[in-house]
Amino acid sequence: MTATGVASTASVDRGARTRARRRSGAVRAFLTGHLFILPGILGLGLLVVYPLVTSGYHAFTDWNGLTPAKWTGLKNFRYLLGHDPTFWPSVRATLLFVVITVPAMLAGGLALAVLVNRSLRGVRIFRTIFYLPVVLPSIAVMALWKYVYDPQYGLANQVLKTLHLPTSMWVGSTRMAMPAVVVVGLWGVGSTMMIFLAGLQAVPAELYEAAQVDGAGPIRTFFRITLPMLTPILLLQVVLQMNAAFQTFNQIAILTKGGPGTTTDVLMYKIYSDGFKNYLSTPQLGYATAEVWMLFLIVMVVTAITLRFSSIWVYAGEGDK
Amino acid sequence: MTVRSGPGGLAMRVPLRASRISWYLLCAVLGVSMLLPLLWMLSIALKSGPDVNRIPPQFLPHEFQWSNFVDGPKMVDFYRLLANTVIVTVLSTIGSVVSSMLVGYGLARIKFRGRKFWFYAFTASIFMPQIVGLIPLQRLWIDLGLIDTWVPLIVPSFLGAPIFVFLARQYFLAIPFSLDEAAKIDGAGHLRIFWSIMIPLTRPVWITIAILSFQLSWNDYLNPLVYLQSAHRFTLSLGMAGFVSDSAGQATSQYNLFMATNLLYMLPPLLLFFFAQRHFMQGIGALGMNSK
Repeated sequence: MTATGVASTASVDRGARTRARRRSGAVRAFLTGHLFILPGILGLGLLVVYPLVTSGYHAFTDWNGLTPAKWTGLKNFRYLLGHDPTFWPSVRATLLFVVITVPAMLAGGLALAVLVNRSLRGVRIFRTIFYLPVVLPSIAVMALWKYVYDPQYGLANQVLKTLHLPTSMWVGSTRMAMPAVVVVGLWGVGSTMMIFLAGLQAVPAELYEAAQVDGAGPIRTFFRITLPMLTPILLLQVVLQMNAAFQTFNQIAILTKGGPGTTTDVLMYKIYSDGFKNYLSTPQLGYATAEVWMLFLIVMVVTAITLRFSSIWVYAGEGDK
Repeated sequence: MTVRSGPGGLAMRVPLRASRISWYLLCAVLGVSMLLPLLWMLSIALKSGPDVNRIPPQFLPHEFQWSNFVDGPKMVDFYRLLANTVIVTVLSTIGSVVSSMLVGYGLARIKFRGRKFWFYAFTASIFMPQIVGLIPLQRLWIDLGLIDTWVPLIVPSFLGAPIFVFLARQYFLAIPFSLDEAAKIDGAGHLRIFWSIMIPLTRPVWITIAILSFQLSWNDYLNPLVYLQSAHRFTLSLGMAGFVSDSAGQATSQYNLFMATNLLYMLPPLLLFFFAQRHFMQGIGALGMNSK
């Protein structure tokens, strides 16, 4: 951090007047400071605190949005955990999606980053190509893939046929629906690639030179130098990617609508179905809010575990910067 | 940070020529397979109706039917959707830049009681899942009579998204404090310093924020889905999602029209990407690395 203490040299004079002036200065700074961050404070209140507090209450109510919410204690959660036939399948779908997507995004992104971290002619073109899908609007991408997966006319089966491989019903089949949805997400692997690429280029060249002097081969260099130096970025990416994967919505909404059956009915989509889809008839807002809290809880627990055990594998650097 | 061509690192000791050729081959294979869906989409967008329905499907169109780019958009009232999306996106982007720069400045450059508290509060809220806010906020906007307007899509961006505030603050911290001292001696207040000194100096970060915010808003689907009900107020994401579920399972001959429209929908972010590529990369770097 940059030193902020330049102003403090002015306080050599300890007269009462200076002190008074300084205090009025502090008051003024207090006001101006809060004025500058006012949008943020309003945002925090409206978009964070207010929803947290009200939904904390509504999770324990029976509420359809038309008549006032009725306190029902733990009923929502009891039904959720014990009786709702789609809750556990939904948790299973969510975890499955996260467990496949996150490692694949990280490993794929890292591999691509290593691949394009070279100074050969044309490397920029490849970086751009790999990153391109990330730029496109997600609904446009999903719509495109929906047709790619069309059993009769779609590209996926066309490619499989030319390779003489068995074709599939893709999003219409219980077995392939989840992998198909995951693949669409992995098409955006360019995002993690770019982040890892920036990280790779920040690794000091001296480290590589030293490794070369010591006679370390490329694989050894990667696992002993590159990867450890990337671990802080990797940790942040694990947390962010998990957060994103737990909240995947567009892929499901466009490609599968949770089906077939409950195979891809991730929690985000289930919450939407219960809380919003039947907007005009009977939204189960209290129940959906309870589900939101379950999802929130899962995300928090998983994130906390990740951070708790991060010190084992994250390189902390030499001294605090 | 900027993405530059780094030192080769790993591959130095593999025989040079063989390594290069295999590198190009690998990149080409990967690149083509990543681009394949897009090329395929382009091909369908140019096909005629009977051409789309041909079995087995052909990869290339028999003849180019450019009229798809006129008839497709007509089917979903594309230009109205486009205008709606542009309005929402532009206002949101302005809101994000203005609010996050102001808040970032306040947190980084003004020493006041409580700024640490607010900084931690904002930073912690980065990790609150969006879904937690969705039901309470939808109810709030309904109670305020603002459901089915663009207000719920625009106003929140004027309230300083925590992630952008974080980026802006980091950038402001890196600017020498001697600059404001000098300006203060000349009698400039914070607003003046903010506007005439900081804004020009922090150009990279607010361009990055603008681009990220543009993307967020242009691509947003869940919020419009929850807040908008009348078709004439829909944004492109809603309109296109409706288009695809209309087309699916029905006459596949519409797919050429759909793909043509879909291409037009992709165009603005693509153009932005190609014209502001450097800033895109900076934004990615900033988001991924600013962990400290």
